[in-house]
Amino acid sequence: MSASTDRETQGINGAGGEPGTPTRGESIRARRAQVPAIGIAVGLLAVLVILFTLGNRNFLSLYNLNTIAYYAAILLVVGLGQMCAILIGGIDLSIGGLMSFVSVVFVVAVKTVGFWAYPLCILIGIAFGYLNGTILTRVRIPSFIATLGTGGIMTSLALLVSPLPVDAPASRYAVLDLVNASALGVGNLLVLTAVIFVVFFVVLRFTVTGRGIFAIGSNITMSWMSGIDIVRTRNIAHILSSLGAALAAIFLSCGQFGGDPTLGRVYILNSIAAVVVGGTALTGGTGGPVNTLIGAFVLSTMENGMNVVGVNAYFQQSILGAVIIVSVFLTFDRSKVAVVK
Amino acid sequence: MSAAEAGVRDILSVNKVSKSYPGVVALEGVDFAVHAHEIVGLVGENGAGKSTLMKILIGLVQPDLGTVSLRDREVVLRDPADAVRYGIGMVFQDGTLVPNLTVMENLFLCHERGFRRYGFLSTGQMRASARELLARVKVSVDVDTPVAEVSSAVRQMVEIARLLWLSRLYRQENPILILDEPTTVLTEGERDTLFSILQSLKAEASIILISHRLQEIVENSDRIVILKDGKNVTEIPAAQARIADIEQAMVGHAFSADRYRQDEQREPGPRVVLNVDGLSRAGAFQPISFAVREGEIVSLVGLVGSGKEEICRCLNGLDRADTGTITLDGRILAPGSPHDAVASGEGHIPIDRRSEGLALAMSVAENVNLLVLRQLRSLGLISPSRERRNAQRWIEQCRIKTPSPATLCANLSGGNQQKTVIAKWLSSRVKLLVLDHPTRGIDVGAKDDIYRIIRTLAREGIAMLIMCDTLEEDIGLANRLLILKDGAMVRDVPCPPRGKPTPADIIGDIV
Repeated sequence: MSASTDRETQGINGAGGEPGTPTRGESIRARRAQVPAIGIAVGLLAVLVILFTLGNRNFLSLYNLNTIAYYAAILLVVGLGQMCAILIGGIDLSIGGLMSFVSVVFVVAVKTVGFWAYPLCILIGIAFGYLNGTILTRVRIPSFIATLGTGGIMTSLALLVSPLPVDAPASRYAVLDLVNASALGVGNLLVLTAVIFVVFFVVLRFTVTGRGIFAIGSNITMSWMSGIDIVRTRNIAHILSSLGAALAAIFLSCGQFGGDPTLGRVYILNSIAAVVVGGTALTGGTGGPVNTLIGAFVLSTMENGMNVVGVNAYFQQSILGAVIIVSVFLTFDRSKVAVVK
Repeated sequence: MSAAEAGVRDILSVNKVSKSYPGVVALEGVDFAVHAHEIVGLVGENGAGKSTLMKILIGLVQPDLGTVSLRDREVVLRDPADAVRYGIGMVFQDGTLVPNLTVMENLFLCHERGFRRYGFLSTGQMRASARELLARVKVSVDVDTPVAEVSSAVRQMVEIARLLWLSRLYRQENPILILDEPTTVLTEGERDTLFSILQSLKAEASIILISHRLQEIVENSDRIVILKDGKNVTEIPAAQARIADIEQAMVGHAFSADRYRQDEQREPGPRVVLNVDGLSRAGAFQPISFAVREGEIVSLVGLVGSGKEEICRCLNGLDRADTGTITLDGRILAPGSPHDAVASGEGHIPIDRRSEGLALAMSVAENVNLLVLRQLRSLGLISPSRERRNAQRWIEQCRIKTPSPATLCANLSGGNQQKTVIAKWLSSRVKLLVLDHPTRGIDVGAKDDIYRIIRTLAREGIAMLIMCDTLEEDIGLANRLLILKDGAMVRDVPCPPRGKPTPADIIGDIV
């Protein structure tokens, strides 16, 4: 009764043998639901851009926009993966360790096997995601714990491969050009990121598995009873998550011309922040790639803008923290989530 | 006060109360009174305003207009704790006890102060008081049992005992107990016990009884108040009430005598859709065999514990049977696999549609299409236009009243949510549909829609296994009843359209 009363009082009017005729209130709420959280997030982004431009006209210079895009692209690729783990109602804390590991392995592999470093690292990501998924679905350990554990393992493996940052040899820079060059007038990184975004978008929006991810995140009992293969779908969500992290680590390592065994640390929380700032609920089932795109832009705009405007470096984290809380307050659709916890 | 003139005393009166939510008037100038020592039945369709009215009485909601008077004094009920201090308490449908605490701990939860001795709680005293309280509601249960381990009936009694104790603690004579759909979780025997206890409690309390089962309202209340569209319709003494009149007042028009559309009942086709052979599960039910033919509606009848729920869980693959086979359309189902059951053409309308039937945060269209996404693909990707067409089609067929296919299921009424669950299965072309209490918690008008859909399905050859809220509904809808008792099938009763048994004919086999 507790949950149904709200609907009962607001939703339906049983007049004249036509119970269920939508009342005015219901259609208003439906329309409200169709003003997407995305709209609010875009508004927030616009406000940030205006404020930073007022603070420093160079904020909108081509050079600076490119810098923002670069940050946003990396955050977006990790965030898209993280989003998949969050959409099924879980979380992926292992991406930090995985990114660090992939980063050093990638550079070591570039030294030895050249271009094969790319497929190798992508395969590492996929295999690792499958491991995370299996611990969740077969061993039945919540993803929060499972990925905390596997992430810790990867963090130390990264340090075992190389305790210090390693540089890629200049003779192999051609290998890194796959990401670093600018074939189409903009950096390849941005083009690759756009392709990855489209792939995630299509998978989540137009495939049966993608729809399964939303259904499971929204109601896993119903999904199981409706015959959706929840083991497979949850495994895939975790594979997508690790894949995003592995790709982002490759991109970062290329950009830095070297691997760093602590590269991923900051991305654990930043990726979650990018996802939730865009309006995806941590409870799963609602949100999507477009949300994460905007979330990534909000965060990278913030970070860049505060530097450009000259905010005290020690003060930046507090502002960022406040913006995360405010934006989640604005974008979080409470009508879809019964209890906020 | 008019009631005083009539010789009865109003313990509680709600005067000209109105409450609006954005866009909706939930209550409009409603008057409601509770006399001392009576059971008043409150009925109305979903959305008639019962819940809002009760929320006002327990302080969850503040009225926009109007007043609440208690024992001849105007009061403002700020929150449920306030209401409890005034001696008003509610027993909710789903219960509000803490399952991992014991019966005794739950009874006194948050109000243990009185049991303090030297700063510590005296469990001996608590135990003695708990036993005395439970004896008043005729419950004999070890007070140290965790609530999770006692039956729903006992839980309800514990809640009632708690409310009575609280009102005594706050020195409120004649407390008011609100019971919302108290019998949905009870067996028939438990229901009778509940009502006999309620009758005896009239000596010290007043009771507001809310139920969709009009029969029990008529049998057990002294007075019936009917709400419709947030307004008072009428009030009748229960002694002269007829169910048909109440329904008419609730809905606004009369129903045909053929409630369950028995005229539309067809003889089932020759083909066997479901064949269950020697199915058993230890501790739940003994080996059972039966078959369901195309277009046949077979009702599983029995008390809680008869094994009917467990049989359906095995059929749906939610549980694994110990022995026996389930054959659907010639194919043996893999045991314990809902995936295989669904892939073979079996659908399941669960009793709890919100937690087991729907993704509430997804749209109506997404829910309807969930099982047929594979068929809606073109070039390997889900086609938005085919998706829209499929959703539109089933929304129309099942008469789902929704502002748009993109509306979230959470925003639909119970009846329309149920229709969405049905649409989801129909669109996947099920051969067998298991309906677990399909009309529970649904108002009269939407019930008729569900009956109509069930008849249509039968005409289209879908085999159905059904478990209903009432025996009348079972008999009215089914072609055949399978009566279960203590995990075994005791009788197979045919129910042809013009030769239906009466409840009295079969009740003997059930209990």
